[in-house]
Amino acid sequence: MRLGIVRGHLTLTPAVESYRGRTLVVLEPVTMENLRAKNGLGGGKSLIAIDELGAAKGQMVAFTEGREAANPFWPGSVPVDAYCSLIVDSIDVR
Amino acid sequence: MFLARIEGTVVAAVKHPTLDGCRFLVAQRLEADGSAAAEPIAVVDWLGAARGATVMVSTDGDIAREKLGNTTPARMVVVGIVDSVQSPGNMAGGIA
Repeated sequence: MRLGIVRGHLTLTPAVESYRGRTLVVLEPVTMENLRAKNGLGGGKSLIAIDELGAAKGQMVAFTEGREAANPFWPGSVPVDAYCSLIVDSIDVR
Repeated sequence: MFLARIEGTVVAAVKHPTLDGCRFLVAQRLEADGSAAAEPIAVVDWLGAARGATVMVSTDGDIAREKLGNTTPARMVVVGIVDSVQSPGNMAGGIA
């Protein structure tokens, strides 16, 4: 999982059936430099992820990419590239 | 699979239910020349890797699914803690 900061939310109308009721967030991945500096900046190329945890704007999340991002919807099939797995409370790096 | 250096720990109260009780660490992927990737990753650790340790990370979610169930989004798992690396480029960044 990479780390990303929630920069906003996204709605789709219309969208494919399996996206009905899903929350989408815009994430900005965080670089190690910014993580160490604790400056609230991301620095990576932004992407969109499905969020079922209720992450708010400005919060940091860890997101899963690849096939595993669709696992939470197993055995259903949702076309998902990235999924918010956890909301970060704190990170201890030196 | 790739090598990564453990940089710290992640605390997260809100997470996917299958991840409850998992230990999450922040790691930096190591390149063949000993440099580290720009973006850190969060990995699941069942082996007790310490800060500064070089570990091998698998990006295959099979181990995670076996332990946490089919619906887990966990993917990157620490599969071993590195003792030594023999490589001209010294992937472990100085520990080999």
